[in-house]
Amino acid sequence: MKRHSILLTGLLLCILNALNIQSMNAKTPVKVTEIYSENSPLITFRIILRAGSINDIKGKEGINGLTALMITNGGTQDLKYQEVVAKLYPWAANISVQPDKEITTFIGQVHRDHLEKFYKLFSDLLLNPRFDPDDFTRNKDLALSFLEKNLRGTDDENLGKEAFGISMFANHPYGTADATVQGLKATTLEDVKAYYKKTYTTGKVWIGIAGGYPKSLIERMKKDFARLPEGKFVPISLPKPEKPHGLEISFVEKPARATAISLGHPLDVTRKDKDFYALMVANSYFGEHRTFNGVLMNRLRGDRGLNYGDYSYIERFTGGTGSGSRFPNVNTPLRQQSFSIWLRPTQPENAHFAVRAAMYELQKFVDDGLTDEQFQQTRKFIANYSKLWAQTLDRRLGYKMDSEFYGTDDYITRIDKELKTLTVNDVNRAIKKHIDPANLEVAIVSDGAKALRDSMLANAPSPITYSSPVSEKILNEDKVISTLLLHINKAKSKVVPVNELFENESPGQTLERKDDEVKK
Amino acid sequence: MVKIITVFVLIALMGATLSAESPGAKDKVFPYPTRQTILDNGLKIVTIPFDSPGIISYYTVVRTGSRNEVEPGLSGFAHFFEHMMFRGTEKYSKDKYNDVLKSIGADNNAFTTDDYTAYHTLASAEALEMIIDIESDRFMNLKYSEEAFKTESGAILGEYNKNYSSPFMTIFEKLRDAAYSSHTYKHTTMGFLKDIMDMPNQYKYSLTFFDRWYRPEYCTVIVVGDVNHDKVVALAKKYYGSWKRGSYVLDVPAEPPQTEEKFVPMSWKAQTLPIISIGYRGPAFSDSKIDMPAMDVLSQVLFSQSSDLFRKLVIEDQSVEFVQGGEQDHRDPELFIITTRVKDPTNIQKVQDEIYSAIEKAKTSPVSGEQLAEIKSFLKYSYAMGLDNADAIARSITHYVAMTGDPESVNKVYSLYDSVTPEDIMMVANKYFGTSNRTVVLLTMEGAKQ
Repeated sequence: MKRHSILLTGLLLCILNALNIQSMNAKTPVKVTEIYSENSPLITFRIILRAGSINDIKGKEGINGLTALMITNGGTQDLKYQEVVAKLYPWAANISVQPDKEITTFIGQVHRDHLEKFYKLFSDLLLNPRFDPDDFTRNKDLALSFLEKNLRGTDDENLGKEAFGISMFANHPYGTADATVQGLKATTLEDVKAYYKKTYTTGKVWIGIAGGYPKSLIERMKKDFARLPEGKFVPISLPKPEKPHGLEISFVEKPARATAISLGHPLDVTRKDKDFYALMVANSYFGEHRTFNGVLMNRLRGDRGLNYGDYSYIERFTGGTGSGSRFPNVNTPLRQQSFSIWLRPTQPENAHFAVRAAMYELQKFVDDGLTDEQFQQTRKFIANYSKLWAQTLDRRLGYKMDSEFYGTDDYITRIDKELKTLTVNDVNRAIKKHIDPANLEVAIVSDGAKALRDSMLANAPSPITYSSPVSEKILNEDKVISTLLLHINKAKSKVVPVNELFENESPGQTLERKDDEVKK
Repeated sequence: MVKIITVFVLIALMGATLSAESPGAKDKVFPYPTRQTILDNGLKIVTIPFDSPGIISYYTVVRTGSRNEVEPGLSGFAHFFEHMMFRGTEKYSKDKYNDVLKSIGADNNAFTTDDYTAYHTLASAEALEMIIDIESDRFMNLKYSEEAFKTESGAILGEYNKNYSSPFMTIFEKLRDAAYSSHTYKHTTMGFLKDIMDMPNQYKYSLTFFDRWYRPEYCTVIVVGDVNHDKVVALAKKYYGSWKRGSYVLDVPAEPPQTEEKFVPMSWKAQTLPIISIGYRGPAFSDSKIDMPAMDVLSQVLFSQSSDLFRKLVIEDQSVEFVQGGEQDHRDPELFIITTRVKDPTNIQKVQDEIYSAIEKAKTSPVSGEQLAEIKSFLKYSYAMGLDNADAIARSITHYVAMTGDPESVNKVYSLYDSVTPEDIMMVANKYFGTSNRTVVLLTMEGAKQ
């Protein structure tokens, strides 16, 4: 009996000690979001790091993306990069990363036939990265080449969008192309290791999984990722973006066949706000991405053949431009959004007219709003169309995690709910409240930027000619558009040589000074 | 009442063993049951049930692409015509057509390739009849003015402009132009720029183009998702039944054998690293001959991320950013294209030599059984993993229907992959990778030192 008591006491002490140790070492639990689908043979992982380019270290802009690249395009403690690639190959499994401003998403996809081996490898890359010096050289070269060669030299549409983002969020953590040339050059492998150690913590890593996985995998993942250093997620506070005054135009000078144009302004509304859904209807009517529904598309391309497409957005839109899906990427959430118009490249001689035509339609859109019939049609469209956005488990998982980021109900469900109670007055009020056609950032990528700037600053007429007769109505409208007075903020409008874009942390200021030197 | 002939019924009556109803099986790479019915006018209807509650993907594939552009000066017309198909009919004007799509919340678009043009709609299954109504109407009754035609040509130029800010598109254009002398693969699907500039003057030809190619015998309707075959056939009979067959016979000029290596230097005004693109004239797609599947396996041997060349050039030497190679499926013999971006211009020749050396090795060194098994596994899983939604499945079957007219080709060709031997791989390496069968395009930055 006594012996039992001693044993019991000893056991109790052990348990208490264990509890004590546990409470002393209690870590922030790793967050998990899952969508279980028993019959799905494809398993998708979306491991989100709640850090992005806004967490970059000053002078080392791009370190967040480069560290992520070292994980997905590098090895583990046990395996070199080449060995990782060789293991993944026969399974046709994918591992990729989507570094962004607020978060960084590691995506893994595998058939369930290979899940066990894949998970071991995927988790090992994240938890025990190799950080090999040769891999670092290769990945840094890639990151630099993306800025210096791809964006500056071979992709005018994305160049225009990045230049626009930089201007709109000047002096703000969002205001880079998620890296700078000088920042990448200054980053060493030791910097990357230190960044990893500091940033990849239990509080910042967020696991997402979808498909027909064994349910025991969830507990296993929580346990495995709990081995990361302790750390809480504390979001970086963001300043309010500066509001443009008049039209503030960045003319990016580069050799180019055609002229790419973006315009817009910061927007104080996101998916968590009720007005977002009113603006969603308004925006769909005005410029739904890659459809023929929008006013912009019909007036600029449909009536005038100005370019390939003309769209508008109430949140930053990434993806959806290839021949495949026209739907946006998931897992690119931002706490501060923007309203924007994207005009795909126009013939250089029509660029000035195209900007005016977009401004003309935007003003009409804000002044007139939607009729009840237009509202009803558009609302019905979105109610059905939004259901197509989450066709795969992978996208459903992405949307679910984004909804949690914004602190709102499931996005697609919420759209349905909000649309039901929306009125045309809500939509027209939201347009007038949130869209400001008088104060916009504009980015124009052009061969001959200085001449275009001079023409635009002088508000010179920009007549358009057609290869075939167009209707009297359009010709009359063209007369108004081609002389439309644009209130351009001359002091804030500048020519930016492309080779200096993405170079430094605050390109706007540096480049404006250089442009002034050119003028002298 | 339109008489329809259901293929599997007809074949059953003839006592044949073939059937147009593929039940689907887990051991096949394409595991979903497929049913096909051919209407009396030649239009094929293919349905594939898939677990996408309330959603269907509706494709119309026209086996007409830039390959059909046989007249000089009219390249790019298949693609231009794809744009014109959105310009309306008497029953459904351009705006009315769009209003219908808007009312059902459909995702709707189209694309053109060298060999085919595909029109696709993703929407609620409840909208099936509405979709068949508007789609059949534009395929049978398209009507547009000369003014609308000319205006749309501006959008085509805009599309050319957006695509050609990338040097890769320009390189591809030059490679095709140099490698081919007679066949219509000489031009890209976008067409030559001079022909695009002349498009506004070709209204009459556009009418001829529609009359020739937008005929039921060139088309297949593919519906995937929450779908009932009999219902689709009944509706197709109602809406497409009066569509008349055409009479035009395509005669694509045969390409003579290439007799000497060709080299095309190019310069690029904006920032770029040197890009080498090497094209070897390869075989046509086939679901019965071993050449094309063996070439696909060879492309993995030489250029996949597990290849020796990738290890050497990308990982060890780090002399290139990437290296890739392969041949896209085509109805006629197409180019096997190798592309690489070289980090240091002084290494261009060295990189080229490494690529040629890897090809020479593949001609005489058999691939190990282990490597071949891994490649076959990769091909099978990478295909299967892409079939995760109705639209992806419809798009995949569209491709195989475009190649051969037969949706079952996907399973036939993957059976061929399984049968590829190391000898087959050496055979195609020797047959297609000769120096005189090669065209090289080298793009460098204007004014850059090499």
